[in-house]
Amino acid sequence: MDFKEINHLLELAHLTLTEEEKTKINEDLPQILDYVGQLSEVNTDKIEPMNGGTTNLENVVRDDNVDKEREQCQEDLKEAAFSRKGDYFKVPPVF
Amino acid sequence: MIRELHQKLIDRSISDVDLVNGYFKTIEEKDPVINAFLSLNKEEALIQAKKVDEKIKEGKEIHLLEGIPFAVKDNMLAKDLKATAGSKILENYIATYDAFVIKKLKKENAILIGKTNLDEFAMGSSTENSAFFPTKNPCDTERVPGGSSGGSAAAVASKMVSFALGSDTGGSIRQPASFCGVVGFKPTYGAVSRSGLIAMASSLDVIGPITQSVEDAIVVFKAIAGQDKMDSTSFDLSASKDKKWKFNEVKIGVPEEYFAEGVDSEVKQAIQTTLQKLKKEGAQLQKIQITHDSYALPCYYIIMPAEVSTNLARYDGIRYARPAASEKIKNLQELYFQTRGLGFGTEVKRRLILGTYVLSKGYYDAYYKKAQKVRALICQEWEQAFQKVDFVITPTTPTVAFKLNEKTQNPLSMYLSDILTVGANISGIPGINLKNSETKSGLPVGLQILGSRFSDYSLLNFAKEVEELIHEG
Repeated sequence: MDFKEINHLLELAHLTLTEEEKTKINEDLPQILDYVGQLSEVNTDKIEPMNGGTTNLENVVRDDNVDKEREQCQEDLKEAAFSRKGDYFKVPPVF
Repeated sequence: MIRELHQKLIDRSISDVDLVNGYFKTIEEKDPVINAFLSLNKEEALIQAKKVDEKIKEGKEIHLLEGIPFAVKDNMLAKDLKATAGSKILENYIATYDAFVIKKLKKENAILIGKTNLDEFAMGSSTENSAFFPTKNPCDTERVPGGSSGGSAAAVASKMVSFALGSDTGGSIRQPASFCGVVGFKPTYGAVSRSGLIAMASSLDVIGPITQSVEDAIVVFKAIAGQDKMDSTSFDLSASKDKKWKFNEVKIGVPEEYFAEGVDSEVKQAIQTTLQKLKKEGAQLQKIQITHDSYALPCYYIIMPAEVSTNLARYDGIRYARPAASEKIKNLQELYFQTRGLGFGTEVKRRLILGTYVLSKGYYDAYYKKAQKVRALICQEWEQAFQKVDFVITPTTPTVAFKLNEKTQNPLSMYLSDILTVGANISGIPGINLKNSETKSGLPVGLQILGSRFSDYSLLNFAKEVEELIHEG
């Protein structure tokens, strides 16, 4: 993995790195990838990948009702935003 | 211990205001060195304590946890209090609702006295990744308390609080409990709702208690466990298996890999001594092998960063308080990059990049899908193991608490300190750390007991017996 690839990943992850972080992470990542790469030794031919978790639960749904408790929380959540106008979050121009 | 404090409160041999003030006094004395707390809730705590005292004076009955002070790791939300997750990006974020576990404890009228330090977004094994300051180990302040729930473990170990909550994604309750010499319990995945826990890796995260005894862990776990409509992976555990274990009817699995090279010989020896004691009491020890468990950590370092990279996408500078308010931001794109670039620390960025990589086109099958297959395999093997044995006993960590800055420059060596705990997260099983003994230099050695999925109460009851046996000496 080289700088070019890291730059691409930074684009995808919406991240920036300081120069110092870039040097450090560029050193660490190949080591970590090498370590996790040992999974390729495992024979998983007939194994279905796990999806979901470990609970055996399936298709958990809730009733399609308005929850008053959650409604109250909405105002607080809007208030927590960095900048708002009425019921909208205010953001810088898209372009 | 919670039951004793409760007794003192109802006997009126101590008032709750005095009890709470006593803890704040200890915090004042010790925390300038230990640095376990990120914020305190003193005013509100004392108002609540007064109410408890009035209730007792009026002769009203109180709950077991009523008036008992507790702390929570700062990645759980308590309404109107800061919840930083140890990150600059949430430095000014005030929680807008209570986490399920906080709701439950408030219902019992337990008293929240403060929020504890952690590795940023619970990513780390030493609490040195906190964006604010590192926490020190109360047993030796030149050493780390472990992590990521290091603040909670250090606070309980130094008796700055009666009990605390932590969260465990790869060992983050058990490993710091081991380093600090306290009890740390990671429940079965889903036994405690994650609603209001700031998400790290959703298929692995679990909330659990850090306490001074197994008895306390049982009390707290009973209070916080249960199905919650806000977390569709949560469920009710039946407490019906509340049986008392006799050692001569227990089969204990001892996995050889957990005593292999890389595990400190003094640690190994200490755990073996307890195993021999159990054998003398009639317990059957059985060597077992979880063939692919040695792949649990590499598997974890694919699945966890993948989930991290999706979960942390929400920190975009719009919905939460922003770390650095820059006036010159030209467009939305720039806002994202700047907020995240300035707001996240190096370890978080490392995992975001890694997670983005393993999920990206061309690498998904080789990394993420492969890891999910290996995970399925490891789950099966643990399940099979628990058909043969009731519990598994191992060391909790390969070494005792290490020194500050010892591993900060080498992330892989830091990751390896979770090697004995991460299997339980990958497979969803419950696990507990008990203080086994101390090394010659006086540092705690932790013993880990693992049980099958959903066996939480059974495991806790067995752990209580083991704890007694260890105390008998």
